[in-house]
Amino acid sequence: MTATIGPPRGGGLPGAVHSEWTKLWSVRSSWWTVLAAAVLMLGYTALAATAVPVMAEHGDPEAATVSAPGLAVNAVFFLAQFPVLALATLFIAGEYGTGAIRSTLQWVPVRGRVLTAKCAALLPALCGLGVVLTGAALALAVPLMGGAGVPLTAGEAVRTALAIGGYFVLLGAFALGVGTALRSVAGALTVSFVALLALPMLCSALGLTAVLDYLPGVAGVNLMLGEGTLNDLTGQPVPYARWVAALVLGCWSAAALGAGAAVLRSRDAG
Amino acid sequence: MITLRGLTKHYGRKRVVDELTFDVAPGRVTGFLGPNGAGKSTTMRMVLGLDRPTSGEALVDGRRYAELRHPLREVGAVLDARSVHPGRDARRHLLAMARSNGIPDARVDEVLGTVGLADVAGKRAGAFSLGMGQRLGIAGALLGDPGTLLFDEPVNGLDPDGVRWIRQLMRSLATEGRTVLVSSHLMSEMQLTADQLVVIGRGRLLADAPVTEFVADDRAVHVRLPDPGERQTLAHHLTGEGLAVEERGGGELVVTGGTVEGVGDLAHALGLRLHGLTADAVSLEQAYLRLTANEVEYAAPAAGRRAGR
Ligand SMILES: Nc1ncnc2c1ncn2[C@@H]1O[C@H](COP(=O)(O)OP(=O)(O)OP(=O)(O)O)[C@@H](O)[C@H]1O
Ligand SMILES: [Mg+2]
Repeated sequence: MTATIGPPRGGGLPGAVHSEWTKLWSVRSSWWTVLAAAVLMLGYTALAATAVPVMAEHGDPEAATVSAPGLAVNAVFFLAQFPVLALATLFIAGEYGTGAIRSTLQWVPVRGRVLTAKCAALLPALCGLGVVLTGAALALAVPLMGGAGVPLTAGEAVRTALAIGGYFVLLGAFALGVGTALRSVAGALTVSFVALLALPMLCSALGLTAVLDYLPGVAGVNLMLGEGTLNDLTGQPVPYARWVAALVLGCWSAAALGAGAAVLRSRDAG
Repeated sequence: MITLRGLTKHYGRKRVVDELTFDVAPGRVTGFLGPNGAGKSTTMRMVLGLDRPTSGEALVDGRRYAELRHPLREVGAVLDARSVHPGRDARRHLLAMARSNGIPDARVDEVLGTVGLADVAGKRAGAFSLGMGQRLGIAGALLGDPGTLLFDEPVNGLDPDGVRWIRQLMRSLATEGRTVLVSSHLMSEMQLTADQLVVIGRGRLLADAPVTEFVADDRAVHVRLPDPGERQTLAHHLTGEGLAVEERGGGELVVTGGTVEGVGDLAHALGLRLHGLTADAVSLEQAYLRLTANEVEYAAPAAGRRAGR
């Protein structure tokens, strides 16, 4: 065998991250989910923004309260976050379905390092995706709103873009943790869906309004909207600053990752 | 060098690998044999750190797999179960693999060429035939130019050319001084490839011996002599040495208890003319079947028993 592999360069955690990055973009589903997130985000924002001048013309007082960042946040929470969730879930839980996890753990036998590498490869990409999609959505929404609604300041635009980028990071981390713990795409998506959407509805229905702002989905919306803005999920203004919202959601993500890491460490490759 | 010390694995309450202790030495091909469900794949997964031993340990060059800084540069493996994402093309599967262990990208095309997949490197692995998938696995095993290689039933799905190719590959890897462990449940396959045989049944070690020694005690030797008188002479001398001799049609004697070398040397010493001298190829299989007869877990039900129900 002609062996031209030379002395080791890299490997370790940087090697694992590079490997995960290569894996992430070498399957079509990743590109499809990114495309779907873009279409949903921009499609919803454009449609909703087009409706604002029409509402204003008909003298609807609601029109004055609509803001471009508000539209972008709705686009994320009700549509665009689901392809992002799918992307992160497939990235780890999908490997259990295809058996690719056995390859992954053979290449990188240090269990904790695999999860760290997945986070390091995926989460910055999700942050970039959130920032870029928000920028594009706002750039689309402002002219379509035609001067109706709340005027957008540059500072608010930047804060919203960063907040949505941050939400995608924490959402991705949550999904990676749940996916690693449950090892099944269907199971992980169900749990994430329940945690993000069903739990707030359930708590509202049971009158547990005090806990609402500490649920992952609500905290995510609070993070994206910013303190004092009306949150449609709770019907209340956001009670805390963005960094608190990030901390609340971050605790959920950390708990999910912790559970995932524990399962990954203790169980056979599967 | 692979070292197993008291290696044991339970799945639930079932003991699948039971106190396995043996070494796999470099420089030769070691066949790893056992009936279905004997625990071969489980043992290999434990060597690779994929499954955690319940007790005991599996070491590669004295270290646990997870302790290897660049594992793919030290151990290459082809597992039996599918472990490639079907949507990823062969080349980028190997690229991701190379990058995880600090192996240069250029090495990927080299191994794709070695296994004959260069033309389909851009195709999705899910579209590969069984044999192409097996070749992709082998490309991965060779990627890091490792000193230790594990193959779990590597000839599955390969055509005769492919089977011959992988036999030669394993032989040459061993000749280069590498440690090669190959599992199979076909003794006939191992007979052609392996130098050393490790046989397990129900997770327990049944035998660990060189191929030659493994069958020496009951290998049937077929010897053909054209002259009936000389045939009688040889038969007489063989019986005198305590070997069982049976006369067959076509001027053939079947000798049990001896070796090809022994019978040949005797004939030569007696000045006899031989037209054929072979060892019974089937007897290795028989030795194996006898060894594992009581250890087969998933045997077909006996005809009589089935009829009775
Ligand atoms: N993950 C698992 N959970 C439970 N039981 C398992 C698991 N993996 C294997 N087994 C059981 O362990 C036993 C040994 O399986 P293994 O695959 O190691 O055998 P093998 O020698 O490779 O067999 P084959 O020749 O069929 O490949 C079998 O009885 C199998 O059912
Ligand atoms: Mg097996």
